[in-house]
Amino acid sequence: MSDLRDEFLSEAQEIVESLSRDLLLLDQAHKDGSSSQELVNEVFRAVHTLKGIAGMFGYARLGEVAHALEDLLDDLRLGRQNLTTELLDVLFEGVEVFQRLLAESPDAEVSDVDIIAFLEQLTSVGASRPPVEDALAAYAIDASVLAVLTEYEEHRLRTNVAKGVGLYRLKVRFSLATIDTQLEDLKARAKSIAEIITYLPSASGGDGDAIDLDVLLASSATAATLEDVLGGEGAVLERLTRGTSPVAPVRATEHHALVPPPPVRTPPRPTSAPPAPRMPSEPPLAKREVTADQLSLRSVAHTVRVDIRKLDHLMNVVGELAIVRTAVMRLTEKLRGRPELRQLAIDLHRINRGFERHLEELQDGILDVRMVPLGQTFDRLARIVRQVAREHDKEVVLVVTGAETEIDKLIVEELSDPLMHLIRNAIDHGIEAPKTRELAGKPPGGTLVLNAYQKGNHVVIEIEDDGAGINPQVLIETAIRRGIVSEEGAADMGRDEALQLIFLPGFSTRLRASDLSGRGVGMDVVKTNIGRLGGVIDVQSEVGTGTKLTITLPVTLAIISALLVRVAEREYALPITAVQEAIVFDPKRVRRVEGREVVTLRGETLTICRLDELFRVQSKARGRRYLVVVAVGQKRMGLVVDGLEGQQDIVIKALGKSLSRVRGISGATDLGDQRVALVLDAPGLLDEVLTSTERTLQEGRR
Amino acid sequence: MSELVKRPTIVPMRPTGSETRAASLREILAFALADESYGFPLARVREILKLPPITPVPRAPRHVLGIVSVRGVITTVVDLRRLMRVEERPPEKHARILLVDVGGEVLGALVDEVLQVHRLAEDEVELAGVVGGDLSDHVIGVGRPRTRRDQDHAGRELIVLLDPEPLFARLERG
Amino acid sequence: MRAFVRASLEAELGADVAEAKSGFEALRLLPREAWGLVVVDVNMPDINGLELVSFLRKSDVHRATPVILISTEASATDRRRGLELGADAFLAKPFGTADLAALARRVLGVDP
Repeated sequence: MSDLRDEFLSEAQEIVESLSRDLLLLDQAHKDGSSSQELVNEVFRAVHTLKGIAGMFGYARLGEVAHALEDLLDDLRLGRQNLTTELLDVLFEGVEVFQRLLAESPDAEVSDVDIIAFLEQLTSVGASRPPVEDALAAYAIDASVLAVLTEYEEHRLRTNVAKGVGLYRLKVRFSLATIDTQLEDLKARAKSIAEIITYLPSASGGDGDAIDLDVLLASSATAATLEDVLGGEGAVLERLTRGTSPVAPVRATEHHALVPPPPVRTPPRPTSAPPAPRMPSEPPLAKREVTADQLSLRSVAHTVRVDIRKLDHLMNVVGELAIVRTAVMRLTEKLRGRPELRQLAIDLHRINRGFERHLEELQDGILDVRMVPLGQTFDRLARIVRQVAREHDKEVVLVVTGAETEIDKLIVEELSDPLMHLIRNAIDHGIEAPKTRELAGKPPGGTLVLNAYQKGNHVVIEIEDDGAGINPQVLIETAIRRGIVSEEGAADMGRDEALQLIFLPGFSTRLRASDLSGRGVGMDVVKTNIGRLGGVIDVQSEVGTGTKLTITLPVTLAIISALLVRVAEREYALPITAVQEAIVFDPKRVRRVEGREVVTLRGETLTICRLDELFRVQSKARGRRYLVVVAVGQKRMGLVVDGLEGQQDIVIKALGKSLSRVRGISGATDLGDQRVALVLDAPGLLDEVLTSTERTLQEGRR
Repeated sequence: MSELVKRPTIVPMRPTGSETRAASLREILAFALADESYGFPLARVREILKLPPITPVPRAPRHVLGIVSVRGVITTVVDLRRLMRVEERPPEKHARILLVDVGGEVLGALVDEVLQVHRLAEDEVELAGVVGGDLSDHVIGVGRPRTRRDQDHAGRELIVLLDPEPLFARLERG
Repeated sequence: MRAFVRASLEAELGADVAEAKSGFEALRLLPREAWGLVVVDVNMPDINGLELVSFLRKSDVHRATPVILISTEASATDRRRGLELGADAFLAKPFGTADLAALARRVLGVDP
């Protein structure tokens, strides 16, 4: 049911948003004194739907509010209530209430939303007015017609009759295939001169492809004018008169070549709106002034709120299409081999190239929709900086650059916690108190630099402070004390290697324990979380000068270009962003250094990892093997594989919960033909291989 | 809004006894594993798959055979023989994968053969507490469905009713 | 809302469900196959649910197809009219999966 609840939330959200837009329009219409019947009905329907779904999903309070509002709106649309500014105020207030209720868990025991007060407010404006006098009886409207009118439609009919507006019946035949377009067209044309009360489908008409509709209209215009505007091929208009049954058609139109409906383009529907402007930068619609122009453009000026999983689904489809493309390519190659089919092969190739281009566009388009600037996250961090600095009596200036750098929405969401933690750390442990700084010859206020930029397919985020820095010697001592490294292991530990200790589980210097840095969460968690996003974190520090943490993340998680490698008859995908190069592996050049296998590549020592051994799979491959140089951030290693199978765009899919703890593998991908390849976790493997000497002890416990 | 329900696939099924026992019926999907009959609650079985190619996952828990893609969703497949600690054998022609909802994850369970759906009335089920003895926590009880020919309690087929959650929780323990 | 109705019918009845987001879309879908059950809301963006019921009852093909009408309890008139037009049952919103399934089983004449 939780899927459904998510769906409820997004549906409800959507309803509330369109409700708020419609209310603005209603407000506008109220001010101009223009007709608002349709809008009122629209608003009623929205609230009605909201009530319905709220009840089903256990949002009782929301349902209660919707119910009360619905009653009020029902009175309004049935003419038992007049549209007043006070009433509009209450409706706007209602939207607010909905939004706040949706933000809460339906099961929450305590709520910040006072619905009682709102309901009381509703009752105070909701005093009903007697309904309009019934004048409908004078019309001999077919009982069968009356029988299918909803209460609301009947009310509209009565109101029109009471005002002396004429009633018409327009018979039209719509093709089932284009019924929506034709209906939109009819509505658009009728708008200025008539009110459409209802559409009655007639069962008699229709040969399966078309359907006859009786459209019941109320209009003050003459029959001739109506016919000019609404007439079309096969349309028959008749006027309903008082006291008599519907009379014969005013004018037979079958043979009159009335203007055929122009080939209308349906106004773009909200769902097919062009790629929506980025949501975060978009001011909420409710705060904008609605101008008369926007009234008619209301279906165009939409932004769409999309569940990211729907985008994932689309991306999956793109992945499937890429598989189709590859299959067609293979077929084309086969055709090429047959001289008599050469021309066909060339044509097919050209078409496939076109397909490929559009597919790339589609893919870029979907990726683009997922992208959001880091700015929003940075703004939140700025607030944290102010707060933490105040609590610690430190002066901190935050310098932010590169806030416009864009990254996958999913990554951004997972990124705020780790970043927040790093920022707190920097202020708490990094930047010294003003007095200490002055003694050290630094300005009393510390500087924290938050910088982001894109580097190829990666986004780099740097957090740099000009604080006390980290003393590697202190780290080593702590690590020995906690049994994380042995004294021998520590002896030849380099400076950089020592700094990496802060990322080990169970390691926390806690020289100055502070609530703010969150005792429970250490740097190891930060690192794990960033690793889960396919990223790495590096630390550089100079005692007395400051510390710089560098996070390198992929731009997107949705679709990646991968190198397919083969190990023990199985294919694995390696994100191309982590691959530096691939060369033929020469076993004779392998040397052993400190228990690791290394090769020298262009003067640099490279640790190698035989994937078949690491994964304990039997590789029967003979002959030539390959060395893939994998690098993320500052770390590099060589991965020995049996074969290279080519490069391909893949959609990474998560493994089930039961396999989420398997190390070295970050997901799987569908290669088509029911073939599934595992996606290698490059940062994870690098980490595992490069830190496997002394610390294997620790790893065993995880 | 309207919903059109196409060819309702509900087939009215009645227990062989004439009295109505609607409330106490348990629907079970029975399957074979090493010559024994087992059953999962039908409501927990999402789908039955013919054997697709299974991709093994290195370093996965021992009972995991690998993964398959079920219409794009990566699904973990568990070897029930291994999990139930019965003799292992490569899958044969009738082998199927049952997609079982284990609260939070849908897992594939490799079984030897799918037998049938039973609707067991209360008196056809003996719950674990009643059966007594040393039963694991993943056994709900045993079912002894009646057949027309054989009304003799002892001679009936015996189905071990499994509770997916504790059963698959063994994955966690390796 | 549609998703809920759909999920309920699929889960509880094992039925094969098609969704139409408006009355017209329903009209478009209806001729395609034989339907076992139609669930329709009174309030739809184009033709209303009562009209759809009336259409179904007049049509040769769908005359006997069971129809469940759903709406808010607010409008007794709509409810009465729907049943008069030939809807087999009426379900007031909000309702739960079980309510819908029970009603569907009843109008379909199948035992739980």
